[in-house]
Amino acid sequence: MQKSKRVTRRQFLKGSIGAVAAFTIVPRHVLGGPGQTPPSETFGGALIGCGGQGNGTFNGLGPNVEKLAICDVKFLKHADNKKVYTDFRRVMERKDIDVVAIATPPHWHALISIAAMEAGKDVLCEKPMTRFIAEGRAVAEAEKRYNRIFQVGTYGRFGANRERHKIMASGLLKECKAVYIKHGGLKVREWSGLVNAQPQPIPRSLDWDMYCGPSPLRPYHPHRTGGTHRGYWDYEGGGMTDMGQHFFDRFQYEYAKDDTSPVEIEAYAPPAHPEACGMWGWVELKYADGLTLVFDSEEWGERYNRKEDRSVSISDLDEQSQRKLREMPEPEPLVRFPEAIRTRKQAGGHAAVSHRCVSLMHLANIAIRTGRKIHYDPVREQIIGDEEANRLVNQPMRAPWHL
Amino acid sequence: MPDPDGRGMYCTDIDKDKVEKAVAQIHNGGRDNVIAIIDMLVPPGQGNDVKAHYALHCLALHVCKLDDDNQRRRFARAVASQLGGDRPKAVQRYLVRVMQVAGGREVVGTLGKLLVDEELCEPAAQALTAIGDGAADQFRESLPQAKGKCRLTVIQNLGVIRDAKSVDALKRAVTDEDQDIRIAAAWALANIGDPGSAGVLLKAADAEGWERIQATKACLLLAENLLAAGKNYEATRIYTHLRNTRTEPAERYVRDAAKKALTAASGK
Repeated sequence: MQKSKRVTRRQFLKGSIGAVAAFTIVPRHVLGGPGQTPPSETFGGALIGCGGQGNGTFNGLGPNVEKLAICDVKFLKHADNKKVYTDFRRVMERKDIDVVAIATPPHWHALISIAAMEAGKDVLCEKPMTRFIAEGRAVAEAEKRYNRIFQVGTYGRFGANRERHKIMASGLLKECKAVYIKHGGLKVREWSGLVNAQPQPIPRSLDWDMYCGPSPLRPYHPHRTGGTHRGYWDYEGGGMTDMGQHFFDRFQYEYAKDDTSPVEIEAYAPPAHPEACGMWGWVELKYADGLTLVFDSEEWGERYNRKEDRSVSISDLDEQSQRKLREMPEPEPLVRFPEAIRTRKQAGGHAAVSHRCVSLMHLANIAIRTGRKIHYDPVREQIIGDEEANRLVNQPMRAPWHL
Repeated sequence: MPDPDGRGMYCTDIDKDKVEKAVAQIHNGGRDNVIAIIDMLVPPGQGNDVKAHYALHCLALHVCKLDDDNQRRRFARAVASQLGGDRPKAVQRYLVRVMQVAGGREVVGTLGKLLVDEELCEPAAQALTAIGDGAADQFRESLPQAKGKCRLTVIQNLGVIRDAKSVDALKRAVTDEDQDIRIAAAWALANIGDPGSAGVLLKAADAEGWERIQATKACLLLAENLLAAGKNYEATRIYTHLRNTRTEPAERYVRDAAKKALTAASGK
């Protein structure tokens, strides 16, 4: 089996830019996209969420996107509602903006992605794509309803082992005995939350109510913002969701699980705190065909020792199946975001597949947060026989925000 | 219960077995222990209640794991009995969130009373919607009294839980003077899938800016729900209207969405 080549974010962006530069830019209205006036050689772009990751995310839009607007809830002091905004809704109203890069904390990812597509814009959204499972389905529905381009800001699948993908996608392997164990790298301790945060004065430049948005309005504390927001269930899901989409986007593609989810999830962790993400040992997720995925944090408790790593290769097929596999066409190449917005072809990491990927981390976190083994219906996207656990699948939002 | 570590987190020396044993012991003490823990809770910034805060949440998780609904109900009733009284609103907010974890139908009446309380309506609505069973009556009954933020919260949640009995009230709200209310009501009608709301929503979608975008979304959502319910005539009417009125280049994507849906609806 050929070892797959890992693609870093930097390499991917470099490649994207090169790929799109090779084409002649066509006016947007000719392509059937939004914001068609006037015909232009560039796309109008907006960056929503201007923290540390913002410019990097915006660059992922490609070289032919002009930054017409920036928006962040911390711009209260200098917003002019012409180029600088605090309220993303005003950005959505602009007809000259075709593409939006979203680099806010994740509790805003789904709502702003959906709003952008409702306004006819294409979306490149930072990972993790969502904060809970139902958000992802809603983003995928908006992508389909409005026929927009969506790509999540992680590119693991672009460097995936395509032979393994072909084997798994072929349907020739009836039972999958593979076990994929991710050892460490999930930044559990790093992205934990404070359990004794005392309220602080809200900075004058920050619209705190808008920052909280769909999540509960809590007393302000700086640890809830600026990167450390990752340690709170209100905004993200700890290092698990921060890093997981990077790692498991590739896994999901290789094992051809883009249209399904695990059916059984079990976690080893101490009782979770209600607001602060904290420690966990490992999570085991099993798919219906037997494939097992394990997140072993290596940061708390005993190491995972139930199963050993085991991959899938062509030798898992009998000779007849191997012959059939060779006769099958190679997988379609994945389309990068700059090419997708130009050609209107679906992006490689589009909403439906990225939703399945981030669901892995959400399911793991539900098992950690409830302390119970959960059984999941990947078609209905509901937890079976556990009403209280299901409350974390689709979490009510604070008005006026809703899916 | 563990102490926070040097960073103020539960990252060091958190012992699963020790915590679970302590929680089981507290639980065995029954209602009195639950109330005793609640007595230790203080509003943020007014003392240290880290252990009590964590213990109450662990109790909620514990009763959900017992596979004994009577025990879960007893716990939920004990917590709910401390709502609506003199306890600080910040403490009550936390108790409501505990209900969102472990409460059921037995506490919806108590939560419903909080829907008109400016400081508690948001968490109460979220807990009610999460619980689901029995929540619709609470939202519907609170609507006439709810003002400001509470009213918006109630209207939105009537849509989330798809309360068909609220259609008339929601139709009136579509022409409210508050834009957030209008948008929430339009979306609620669409999510409910009320066939009689097509005209109201299409009119709402004549608005400008953000409201136009949102009302148009409501129209498309309503049409999808009508199609799913087999009401093709009403759905086709909405799609046809959008196809014919979204003639500006910037709204071509809406026209295209409507055209695509019309084709699908006609089975061609």
